[in-house]
Amino acid sequence: MNIPKNLLYTSEHEWIRVDGDQVYLGITDFAQHHLGDIVFVELPELDTEVVSGDSIAVVESVKAVSSVYSPVSGTVVENNEELEDSPELLNEDPYTNHIAVINIDNPDQLEDLMSPAAYEAFCAEQE
Amino acid sequence: MLEIINRSNDPFFNLALEEYLLDNPEIKEDIFLLWQNRPVVVVGRNQNTIEEINQRFIQDKGIEVVRRISGGGAVYHDLGNINFTFIVNDAPSLTLDFTRFTAPVIRALQTIGVKAEDQGRNDISIDGRKFSGNAQCRQQGRLMHHGTILFDTNLEDMEQALTVDSTKISSKGVKSVRSRVTNITEHLSSPVSIDEFQDILSNTIDENGKRRELSSTELSIVESLRDNKFRRWEWVYGFSPPFNVRKSQRFDWGSIDFRINVKKGLITDCKIYGDFFATGDISLIEQELIGVRYRDEDLLQALEHINLASYFPQAYVKDIINLISL
Repeated sequence: MNIPKNLLYTSEHEWIRVDGDQVYLGITDFAQHHLGDIVFVELPELDTEVVSGDSIAVVESVKAVSSVYSPVSGTVVENNEELEDSPELLNEDPYTNHIAVINIDNPDQLEDLMSPAAYEAFCAEQE
Repeated sequence: MLEIINRSNDPFFNLALEEYLLDNPEIKEDIFLLWQNRPVVVVGRNQNTIEEINQRFIQDKGIEVVRRISGGGAVYHDLGNINFTFIVNDAPSLTLDFTRFTAPVIRALQTIGVKAEDQGRNDISIDGRKFSGNAQCRQQGRLMHHGTILFDTNLEDMEQALTVDSTKISSKGVKSVRSRVTNITEHLSSPVSIDEFQDILSNTIDENGKRRELSSTELSIVESLRDNKFRRWEWVYGFSPPFNVRKSQRFDWGSIDFRINVKKGLITDCKIYGDFFATGDISLIEQELIGVRYRDEDLLQALEHINLASYFPQAYVKDIINLISL
């Protein structure tokens, strides 16, 4: 299981990369592995205001339709349109292919996210 | 496990009911329901509807069309088909286990002497022929698993309703996969009615479980979800992924090559090429069609408004309308 050290994680199996006021959000290796082949990604609209806990994207795999939740509040400033043509990128490399970039209102909210070590332990519990 | 009793055959209501039961945070227990639809094509969440349905056939037969919230391909339901839905607390492991939900169907069939087995990822089959397709949908800690059961469905209508000439349309929507299918009735040694089988299935899932019907409050919530989402063109057609249509035809007066792009159901680009004699500036027609919903009534209304006869000799107008309409 690949869990990069430079990212933060959620219990819904999303990763977050912080870059100033912006956070990059995607799904983890654990998530893509369990979902199986991903066949469609519904991206959030640009400028959408999201509140922590909102569903901001929907991923359809050969097994299931699953929501992707934003662990932060802010505004969607980028969506990765490449995924519309090539949803399989989330299987091939879930960490270089983000789903969206969110401009966050308040950096304090990042404190609730899991460290790589904590996420690794969380995944181990679930296997 | 609690069984929700639902006798509605209205596909729009039934799909709204599933969403209501999956979304409602007050429902915390594991539930299941068995239900049937009058003839309808149910397309998967991320399919391009017009790419999946035989428009002419379903119109002639009065077959309806609806989109479901789970993924996968298009299916045909009629009163010979039984649908089963489980909504349970999601296992935190993300392990998407299908066999837990297909097992009772296989056991129920065993009691009437039919040997069925899981096939591939999402299907249950008898002698290698599929009679049940399954899909899952997860949100907010709840998992919905639902599936179809072909008991005595009109397979000829199914075949025709889902046979589409989609060469004119292209999209990134999820495509349907064809399988060899069978009805359960073909494998029965002594007759069992669909109602009897439904009772057997219900008892197999949970013989001593509680059963309840919807309250009147719940009914009105589901009806409003039906009317505001599942019956609406915006959901059934407009929610389709972006697609392109290219239609060309040769007439005795020339040829036309008509190309459009559609996003969220609306025409975003339109080009008319061809070898014909026009008396006006064709780009004005193209501009008029942008923003129009890609459905017959709206297209025809727009074309009427454009007054095609001022661009083309009257004799061409009917040909052009026939080509452009769905």
